[in-house]
Parts: sequence; structure tokens; C-alpha cells
Amino acid sequence: MMHQKMTAITALEHSVEIKAVSKTFGSFHAVNNVSLPIRTGEFVTLLGPSGCGKTTLLNMVAGFIDPSAGAIHIGGVDVTDVPVHLRDTGMVFQSYALFPHMNVFDNVAFGLRQRKFSKSEVTHKVMQTIEMMKLSGMEGRRISQLSGGQQQRVALARAIAIQPKVLLLDEPLSALDKSLRAQMQVELIEMHRNTGLTTIFVTHDQGEALSLSDRIVVMNRGQIQQVAEPIDLYRNPANGFVASFIGEINALPAAIYQASDREISLAIGNIRMTAPRRAEWQFGQGEMVQAFVRPEHIRIATSADAGCNVVTGEVLTHIYQGSHTITRLRVDGLGPIEMRLPGGDVVGRVPVGMPTQIAFDLSQVILLADKSS
Amino acid sequence: MTRQRPFFVQFLVPAVLVAVIFAAAMFNVLKYSFLEFVPGSLNVGGFTLENFTRINRPIYYWVLLDTFILSFATAFFALLLSYPISFALVRAERNWVRSVLVVLAITPLFTGEIVRTYSWMLVLGSDGVVNTALKSLGIIDRSVPIMYTRVGVVIALVQFAMPVMIILLATAISQINRDCEKAAANLGATPNTVFWWVTIPLTLPGILSGFVVVFAWTMSAFSTPQLIGGGKVLMISNVVYLQGFSSFNLPFAAVLSLVALVAALGSLALMKLLTARLEQNMATS
Ligand SMILES: Nc1ncnc2c1ncn2[C@@H]1O[C@H](COP(=O)(O)OP(=O)(O)O)[C@@H](O)[C@H]1O
Ligand SMILES: [Mg+2]
Repeated sequence: MMHQKMTAITALEHSVEIKAVSKTFGSFHAVNNVSLPIRTGEFVTLLGPSGCGKTTLLNMVAGFIDPSAGAIHIGGVDVTDVPVHLRDTGMVFQSYALFPHMNVFDNVAFGLRQRKFSKSEVTHKVMQTIEMMKLSGMEGRRISQLSGGQQQRVALARAIAIQPKVLLLDEPLSALDKSLRAQMQVELIEMHRNTGLTTIFVTHDQGEALSLSDRIVVMNRGQIQQVAEPIDLYRNPANGFVASFIGEINALPAAIYQASDREISLAIGNIRMTAPRRAEWQFGQGEMVQAFVRPEHIRIATSADAGCNVVTGEVLTHIYQGSHTITRLRVDGLGPIEMRLPGGDVVGRVPVGMPTQIAFDLSQVILLADKSS
Repeated sequence: MTRQRPFFVQFLVPAVLVAVIFAAAMFNVLKYSFLEFVPGSLNVGGFTLENFTRINRPIYYWVLLDTFILSFATAFFALLLSYPISFALVRAERNWVRSVLVVLAITPLFTGEIVRTYSWMLVLGSDGVVNTALKSLGIIDRSVPIMYTRVGVVIALVQFAMPVMIILLATAISQINRDCEKAAANLGATPNTVFWWVTIPLTLPGILSGFVVVFAWTMSAFSTPQLIGGGKVLMISNVVYLQGFSSFNLPFAAVLSLVALVAALGSLALMKLLTARLEQNMATS
């Protein structure tokens, strides 16, 4: 019976469907007409700046907040009016929200006990989960005796022990220090691979989103800006907000100077640059656009560049980061430009204040219509 | 650091004054308990241990036990009645509901103890509000005695203790990490289960401290059992009063006071021990 039910669910293409959901607080739209189907087994990340409505949306999926409009389906069933405790979601809170009056075992067992599993089944499932989350030997510990990373793992174990229809993670790593966060990211990926649980992960950290997700949902001011796979999102942001929010980027106001089948040439201030033409660009001559160039697509010019897409800039600062160096330059007519070069050689080669020739690699330039003009 | 010391010292002055006066009074009580009672005189005689041997009589054990039971019952019922009020006070969605509850909960603190006790006498008397209401509802034929009974005393003591209990519980309830309750619901717990398995345990420190404070406070209750008990319900303070101001046996009154003090401190220490262990277990997260 249980097995049949499981296969019925996995056979569903979408285990969660958010349908035109809105939430207003007074006259404020915290979530504005969001629609999002989530495939079974998928790891989806809600990414956006603080206050954009991620937590509100997640809480509506869990049932803690009633949507002002729209519907939420879980496992093919409309659960919009189903109370929290009957929704079968597993949530990990930013504060972990572990039960301080119970030990690790009882925390992990809590959900299973609500589901009326037999004592031996509870023990079996708890120990299995505890082992998977590398918590073996800590069953009897009090929550207050655990480190931050261990508490995080208990919170995860508690949520996945019930094998929920969807796992909901609200900025679960934000309270951890940097090295622990990197380690937990790896464990999250492993956990997802081991359990195959449909997962909605919330973060404001684009790096975290890029490294963990099957798909990223970028949100701003309660609205979805773009839904895409990480690489696609990085390469083809749908608008200026996404372009600036995902990774570092130089935004350059430009005009289309000439457009041919193979090339497009841009006037950026009084500088001219050419980029290979992309099929999706529909810009006419003279149209104002924003050109977005990633720092890693700018380098120190060499003779091989033959003056093509080369400008002269003055180095303002170097920010040495070990594996790479971020260099800020001022280019007349372009404003401040960020360049990213591997290693730290550039610090010695191009001292601060020195004028230097830099070359733009525009093979991956992002052009978006300039809405402001 | 050293430059700041004179600044802090001035804040200590009132506390030190109070402590000194209190210590002097306590010392006198202690001194009297070792002095001989001279019948028919307010003066006392020389050193004696007889006052302490006199306490070894069933009647005083009963009074002590009675005081203990009445205090325990008061703390228990005050807790039972205050918890829902505190809960509503903290969790009510609407501001005006909270305001009304705060006013209702706190105003009894500002009515004098005597006034309040007389009001209870009017309510609990054989022609009082309670009996009249029960009779007109046909629940009873004849007035049931509430005045001059333990029940009546406990009712008045509970009402006396509730504001403090409500404040302590409300503090505890407002400090819960509500994500814990959300997590429990999310894991499939019904609202009922969430309340008994998460909310109550998380507010246990507040429950215990409320209980301990009310218990200790009630141990020294005087005017309520005096007026509502009318001499038929004796708590330790009433016996001290009888000895000291009816029989003018100040040395024995002093001994009884000391016994009451030791009993109160003893039970406080015991409960503190329990609370400390609990709080240690619940620390952080
Ligand atoms: N209960 C509430 N009442 C009023 N405004 C709220 C409430 N909850 C959230 N908001 C507002 O809605 C917006 C989105 O909040 P939230 O979903 O927590 O954002 P995020 O998780 O993306 O940081 C914020 O501006 C927040 O102030
Ligand atoms: Mg949030």
C-alpha cells in the first residue's frame, strides 16, 4: 500500500505546484502572482535579496501563511486549505528550531511518532537518518551540547526522517561560518542525491544557489524575475536585475552602432566595440541598450588583440583574493570597471595609478534593451 | 574602572540601608527566640532553649503542614487559571485584546489587600454573590459554607497571587522560539500535541518560577487567612500573631517565625534545585 502510494507520487511530474500565488500585508505585496511548477526530485532554489518574499512564499507552501490569492498543490492535491500538520512537508528553519527539551534521537523521531509508526520502525528510521547525516553516536546528546554544524545536521535529519513530499529549507546555512558552510553545501548535495527528495531551498547568497541547484528562481520585490538552470542564469540573465544579482558584472550603457548578420558593433560613450552577433538579438540601429560584461571577460591587452575592443584604463585598486585578483580601473567614458584575473601577478605587473590597456572579450556579452530611455 | 566605583556606590546606598535594617530585625527575632517568656509581662527573661522544645507539639506540625498545603494549592490553582490568560495575553492577534487582558490582570495589584479581602467576604459569605447565584440557579437549596473554610481562603489567595503569576508566565511564553512550535506542526503534530509537547515544556522554567514565587509568597500570607479564615483556618503567620499579640509570648512567636522562615527557604531551595537542573537541560539552542 505504502509502496503503491510512493510510486504514484513519483510518477507525478510535478510534486509541488505554486499557482498564481500572492500574499499582501495591508497594501504591501510581499509575494506577487508567483507561479512555479516544481518537478519531483528537483532541487529548486529561491534566490533574491532580503525582503523579496522568499520566506513568505516558503511559508505558504508549508501552510504557515494563507495565500491572499492563488493555490498550492502538493503531490497533485490542492492543499491551499489543508492545515500545516497534514501537509507532509519537511521544513528546516533558519534558527534550526530544534526542541531543546529533547535529545537528538527524540528530535529526529518526533515526526515519525506523529505518524504512528511502531516503536521498532521509529528506531530503525531514526538510526538510518542519523547515520546518513553523520550523527552516529550522538543520539543521546542534548541539543545544547551540539556545535552549530551538528545542530544543523539534526535539523536536516529531523525533516528528512519523515520522507516528506517536499523538503523546505529557509536559509539553513546562513548561521554557519564560511568553512562549515562549504562543507554543509557538499552534505546537502549528498543528502539530496541519497534521498531524492523534492527540495525548495531559500537563500540570498547567489554563490550558494549556483553551486547547489538544479534550477534557480530569482525573485525581487515579490515577483519572479527569472527561472533557469544555474549556467543558463549566469550566461543569459533575463533582465538587468538578474544580471547584476548573479555574480559580479560591469553594466555599460551603450547604443547599437551597426548590426550585421555576423557582428554587432556598439558605441559605448565614444568607444566602439564589436561583438559576435547572437540570433536572439533583435536590436535596431541606434537603439539604447545595457551591455553587461563579466569581470572574468576582461584582461590585460596583448599584441594579439590588435587594438580590437581595447581601451585604456587607470588602475584604482587591486583586491587580492588568493586564487584570483579583482582589479578596479577607471576608463574615461565608461566609468569604473572591474576586471578579474587569475593569481596575483597583476598586482606587481600593473601598479595602482598606472594607465594600462585592457581588452574586452565580448563573445559572451549580455545585451538588454535599456528600459530607462 | 576605579574611577567609576564612586558612581556605582551611590546606587548601593538604599539597598544597603534596607539590608542593614532587615538584618537587625532578623537578629532580634533570633535573639528573642532564645530568651525566656515571662507570663503576663512584655519583658523577657534570661537565656533558654525551652521555646524550641515547645514547638514539638502536633498542633504546630499541623499548622505548618496546613500552611504548606494551602500554599501549594494556591500556587497550583493560580498556575492553572493564569496560564490560559497569559497565553492569550501574549498571543492575542488584536492589540486591544492584549490591552484589556493586561489591565484586567494587573489592576488587582493596585487594590489594597484588606479592601480586596473584604470584597471576597461579601462574595463568599452565606448571603454572598456565589451562594445567591447558585441558589437562584437551583444548583443548591441551602447556602454552602465558603467563608471560614480552606476553600474560601484558597480562592482569595489565588486571586491575590494571579497578577504575579500572570506576569511571570507571560514573560516565559513571550520568550519561546515560536519556530519550535511551527517545526512541531510541520512534522505532523496536531495543535493539541504542539501545546502539550512543545509549548508547555518550553515554558516550564516560567511555570516553575511562577509556582515557586507564589508558593513562597503565600507561605507568609496573613490578612487573607485571618479575615476569610476567621480563626478557623490558621496559617503560620496567624499563629505567630496569636502568640505574639494575643498571648504576648514574643519569644515563642519568634521561634515560630524562624520555623516558618526555615520552611519557606527550605522549600525554595528544593524547588530552585529542580529548576536549575531543568534550565540546564534546556539551555540555549
Ligand atoms: N507578517 C507580516 N506583516 C507585514 N509584513 C510582512 C510580514 N511578513 C513579511 N512581511 C514583509 O514582506 C516582505 C517579504 O518578507 P520575507 O518573505 O520574510 O522576505 P525574505 O525571506 O525574502 O527576506 C518583507 O518586506 C517583510 O517586511
Ligand atoms: Mg527570509
